[in-house]
Amino acid sequence: MSSERIEEHRRRRRQRWLEVLREQGLGYLFMAPWAVGFLVFMAIPLGWSLYLTLNKVKLTPNGFDYTWRGLGNFRDAILLDHVYPVKLLTYLQEVILMIPIIIIFALFVSLLLNQSFPGRFLFRAIFFLPVIFATGQVLTELFSQGAGELPFIDQYNVKPLVMEYFGPRFAEPILGILGKVVIILWYSGVQILIFIAGFQTISKSVYEAVRIDGATPWESFWKITLPGAVPFIGLNAIYTIVDLFTFPLNPVLEEIKNNMFKPDTGYGYASALAWIYFAIIFILLSVVFLLLRKAARRRRRV
Amino acid sequence: MAVFVQHWTAAKARIRKVWIGRKAQKVKRMVIGQYLNDGLMAKAIICMMLSFIAYLYLQPLLYMVTTMVKPLSDLLDPTIKWIPRSIDWSNLRKAWYGLQYPEAFRNTLIIALCCSIFQVGICAITGYALARLRFFGRNLAFFLIILSFMVPPQIIIIPLYTIYGELGWLNTPLVFLIPALFGQGLRSALFIIIFRQFFSTLPKALEEAAKVDGASGFYLFTRIMLPLARPAALVVFLFSFIWYWNMYYEPSMFLNSSFTPLSIRLNNLEAVLLGPDMSGAKISAQNPITEGTKMAGAFMIIAPPLLVYMIAQRWFVESIDRTGLVE
Repeated sequence: MSSERIEEHRRRRRQRWLEVLREQGLGYLFMAPWAVGFLVFMAIPLGWSLYLTLNKVKLTPNGFDYTWRGLGNFRDAILLDHVYPVKLLTYLQEVILMIPIIIIFALFVSLLLNQSFPGRFLFRAIFFLPVIFATGQVLTELFSQGAGELPFIDQYNVKPLVMEYFGPRFAEPILGILGKVVIILWYSGVQILIFIAGFQTISKSVYEAVRIDGATPWESFWKITLPGAVPFIGLNAIYTIVDLFTFPLNPVLEEIKNNMFKPDTGYGYASALAWIYFAIIFILLSVVFLLLRKAARRRRRV
Repeated sequence: MAVFVQHWTAAKARIRKVWIGRKAQKVKRMVIGQYLNDGLMAKAIICMMLSFIAYLYLQPLLYMVTTMVKPLSDLLDPTIKWIPRSIDWSNLRKAWYGLQYPEAFRNTLIIALCCSIFQVGICAITGYALARLRFFGRNLAFFLIILSFMVPPQIIIIPLYTIYGELGWLNTPLVFLIPALFGQGLRSALFIIIFRQFFSTLPKALEEAAKVDGASGFYLFTRIMLPLARPAALVVFLFSFIWYWNMYYEPSMFLNSSFTPLSIRLNNLEAVLLGPDMSGAKISAQNPITEGTKMAGAFMIIAPPLLVYMIAQRWFVESIDRTGLVE
């Protein structure tokens, strides 16, 4: 009797193990193509480019010619190069200013689009339009012809005003941003979309409940919509950072590309520059991730 | 009598006051609204603000379209900003020849269509595995995917160039098709994350029901999960199509000659038109390459995705609402 039960128990355990194994196998099967792709098209190139940064690389007719330099490329980039660090810092300053602007603008527009009013459908279609063009060569072409500037900056002589009020140190990035307002608008298409999708996850009944309790829309925005939108703000911050750092008009990437084809610097040096850049993106994103996790924890506690 | 008249006028005044007051209140409620955001005034303000921003969005497009049809004299005339005096279609013809449009269109379409279909498939599979299957190393895989989303393409472009060169893929569409097939296409990581989010919102009961029915994991995925993921698939497909259509940096490295897409040819427009070939554009001093020609080229590049968007946008907007794209 008892031996039968033990047998039964064993059989069942074996079955459960089989099931777990099968699920594991299925998981690996499904992940396999991605894993192969990651290895060939991401991991190997990444490792290779890290190796390039430690060498001086010359292109010869029969392949690359490596000369070991250790960390020399990084030292040169930080201490000797007088173009790259300046460009990097200026761009970083600009990006740090642009991120909140893009997010606040996207939040504002998506809030407006979330109201009900006649012609909402048409407006939504127009506001998703940038998603189509924002990545293209076409936009670069347009901006190079000056179609991307705000009409009122020249008309009202904004430049000296900004210079006077903010001082020359801050005026430069601010003016840079004013000149790029239209680009900022064009780069907030996906963010608007994410916010609108996010608002749909907050259930309508919550709004009704607080309205019955006598909350004004103003209060319900601060107490319900905004806290509900925190995860999307984080997501948008991450997306914006990645988007801005891989942006075609980006001066830093331009500089890296220039160095690639200069005979005295070459691929190794350019790769070192790119890795410094990547490290900065990584740090910025980790900060956003940490803040997000903190916000999420605080929400859970409440 | 006098008293009566006095009473009468007083009563009349009071009636009028009440009546007008009620009406005024009604009007007021209609205009300002019971709450902040449902009155006519609020709606008008919202519409106005949105129209202003929409104008900023549409302005470059309008600029492109009007510049495209301006003849040379209008381009040089600073008094003409928006509306040309006469419409000149020759720019479109020049751009057509300069871009070698039919061939370039075919190349771009092959890359965009195939790659986005591959991406939908592979990202759905990977996203599903990450969301619903338990296996050892899942978190590591997810971390690697997020990491690969952040890697700037410039870091790996030289090694990739060498690898593709060794494989003999340069200047062929394989450069984009094969990585897309293995989940390393343009922003594949983002699409994997979208699918993962979508699949993780589906109820757990689906798997339990399938298990009770004795369906295999594979069957569950292809017959139940994939059809449910249609809205997510549409969003991914559209994004992927448009990004592949517009991409510039990667093809400028990998596809320099023979198999070039539209975005590369926009840069070479001038060289092609001035070059010694048998194009029917006939460039001369009377018929030069102007800003308008470039704008016509740009317009011809964005016209197809614009058309796709116009057709698909109704579903697109709906599925964004439904995907739970973000969670």
